[in-house]
Amino acid sequence: MSAGHTTCREAIALLEDWLKEELTPELAGRVRAHFDRCRPCFRHAEFERRFLAELEAAGRGERCPDQLRSDLLREIRGADRD
Amino acid sequence: MTDIRARTGDFEAAVLPHLDLLYRVARRYTRDTPRAEDLVQETVLKALAHWDSFRPGSNARAWLLTILRNTFVSAYRKGRHEAVALEPEALDRVSTRPEAAADPSGEFFARITDERILGAVEALPEDFREVVVLSDIEGMSYAEIAKVLEVPIGTVKSRLFRARQRLQAELLEYAVSMGWVRPRAAG
Repeated sequence: MSAGHTTCREAIALLEDWLKEELTPELAGRVRAHFDRCRPCFRHAEFERRFLAELEAAGRGERCPDQLRSDLLREIRGADRD
Repeated sequence: MTDIRARTGDFEAAVLPHLDLLYRVARRYTRDTPRAEDLVQETVLKALAHWDSFRPGSNARAWLLTILRNTFVSAYRKGRHEAVALEPEALDRVSTRPEAAADPSGEFFARITDERILGAVEALPEDFREVVVLSDIEGMSYAEIAKVLEVPIGTVKSRLFRARQRLQAELLEYAVSMGWVRPRAAG
């Protein structure tokens, strides 16, 4: 990537890594700066961010059933006596 | 006796914090509640049997997920595994997903339900489904996912990109059919 302003193409190519916080702080800052001044890219990034937030919220609602948890605990502790 | 107690105590401390995660991932792999419960149970008992091979201080989450995945593949997977084809980085990422333009008021996010989203995740081919679950639902890093799946980080990223594209296409098609968002203009 050249010095100076990040282009739309560069910013969108880095969008996934930026959203996953897997860029170096320097690169993340440049992508952020691009979204701050480019409305179409900002909207694109915002759609992706909200989509990922919905996906996470939908998937994280479930918990291991209590019965399974207590069955497992009993089996693990039962191993003490074997 | 004391040694064995200490051993299972360590095991409990390492494994119990990850039970919810193991259950959720098992649900998405098996797409079935009773089979998911069996898979979690088998995973934990295998982990207990192999606890001596776990390196203290290393990543218990990745270790458990590797056991869960291997157990799923060897005993729970139904039907033939169909590998997905990937064209590495051949995609024009600028023009691929301008969906936001079709939904200026955010109706898509206001109306889509968790059940509909999880249904779309479960409809993905397994190679795509597992990266979405581990990355976007469980929040694991590219490196950690690569370790569990035993594939290069680049493969994780390509699969993730393609998986999200499919998910969005599926969900947006539904949103359009419900009249929540405008169909995208052709061309």
